[in-house]
Amino acid sequence: MRLYWEVARRALRRQLAYRTENLAGMVTNAFFGYLRAALLLAVYQSTTSVSGYDATAAVTYAWITQAMIMIVALWGWWEVEDTIRTGDVVSDLSKPFSYLGFWLARDLGRAAYFVAFRALPILVCGQVLFGLHWPSSPGAWLAFALSTLLAVVVSFGWRFLLNLSAFWTTDARGLGGMAGAAVMFLGGFVVPVRFFPDWLQPIVLALPFTAIMQLPADLFVERVAGWAAVAALLQQLVWAVAMLAAAQLVTYLATRRVIVQGG
Amino acid sequence: MEPLALYARLVGAQLRGQMQYRVSFLLALLGSFLVNLIEFGVVVVIFTRIPLLVGWSLPETALLYGLSATAFAVAEVFASALDRFQVHIVQGTFDRVMVRPRGALFQVIAEDFALRRFGRVGQGVLVLVFALQLLAITWDVQRVAVLVLALASATVIYFSIFVLGAAFCFWTVQGKEATHVLSYGGDALAQYPLDIYQGVVRRFFTFVVPLAFVSYEPALYLLDRPDPLGLPAFTGLLSPVAALVMGVLAWLGWQQGVRHYQSTGS
Repeated sequence: MRLYWEVARRALRRQLAYRTENLAGMVTNAFFGYLRAALLLAVYQSTTSVSGYDATAAVTYAWITQAMIMIVALWGWWEVEDTIRTGDVVSDLSKPFSYLGFWLARDLGRAAYFVAFRALPILVCGQVLFGLHWPSSPGAWLAFALSTLLAVVVSFGWRFLLNLSAFWTTDARGLGGMAGAAVMFLGGFVVPVRFFPDWLQPIVLALPFTAIMQLPADLFVERVAGWAAVAALLQQLVWAVAMLAAAQLVTYLATRRVIVQGG
Repeated sequence: MEPLALYARLVGAQLRGQMQYRVSFLLALLGSFLVNLIEFGVVVVIFTRIPLLVGWSLPETALLYGLSATAFAVAEVFASALDRFQVHIVQGTFDRVMVRPRGALFQVIAEDFALRRFGRVGQGVLVLVFALQLLAITWDVQRVAVLVLALASATVIYFSIFVLGAAFCFWTVQGKEATHVLSYGGDALAQYPLDIYQGVVRRFFTFVVPLAFVSYEPALYLLDRPDPLGLPAFTGLLSPVAALVMGVLAWLGWQQGVRHYQSTGS
């Protein structure tokens, strides 16, 4: 356990080196936060409630999902694919730790950095520009915190699987780019899934992608609360376990394919 | 003609290279088409919940979206290498560009003709055609001119923004992502009626960075809508002026940048 803790800590510290990059990314995230919130506010000029979100909840939804972009690495993450392409994967596989655990720890460290240095400033920005709805009780905060952690795990599992496809195809990024975009639309990033037509909602809500954006955002704006919040967390937990199990299985299948060339 | 012939040769060589990875290419093409098509789906989803967005109907909004998305996608096809320009600065390979007997900007642009991004062009055109089909615009010479000039000018405006973004790298490479506010952010902003943004933001994107001339002002003209900022109707014809100004600024910015360039230390 100590090992994984150290791996996570180092991943976090590694990110600390990219201060200007983070600031530039923050500017871009905040600008898009403004655009998305302005669009939603325009929608609420002709209605007071859409699918159970009032104007403040909708604006908050836009900002919380903007804040989460880097936490769940929405724009893509190909660190594992890199090592498969260059062959460095062999040295990682031969080290005496769980390969999946190693990358999960790294990703959690990376995500922790973005909670503190990206998400919080973005939310402050949203609060100053629009005024947000903040979780109203310690329980709601706790639910949101747990939900964010599970969101990272589910998104990690999904990204890890896309990366591992590089063991079988040289087009992992092409395929993965499209699959990654699924999170943007089916995960409720671009608009809340609950804005979708009524017949489509149950289908999309049953997919794992809402566990990455929609559910934590719903818990933050308290569109989902009480027992429904517990159900949402359980749903995320199930997907987290399923993703990790799938990732472990695929890792096993992939490592049987690796042939180390001598030299 | 010589630069054009050279551009065609450089790009031709590169495309032959890209075509060696046919599956990757087709996937990227399909991906850029699909992802952007779903993005437009969002606009449609919003209009299933409300009939009008600040007084704009779905086809009217689609007109804005189509104008901006098409122009942006075409600009991106040519400007792909500019968006990755920081690599030249970081690795010092811009030295190589400097010693060759052709313009630096020309060489950088000729590095990548992003045929794979045609999927996005297709999506933009599709939305534009969809909008024009549903809108009962009475076409006359001025309106056709406004539409054509708007598309051409908007492409120049977006391309200029990419050039400025690349020029920005001469001063800092770490801050590169912030230039996406004007490129990708500009496209996102111009896809909706400017009425949804606050006064300061609208004035900024009309008078400082003229993104209003990408889609909003030409669309007001095409649809016979008055300008809420009180600008006269012929403002819709001014897109080429905005494009010219942006083009000149981009060229000056790039020149300044090249003068500022000091290779890398390592």
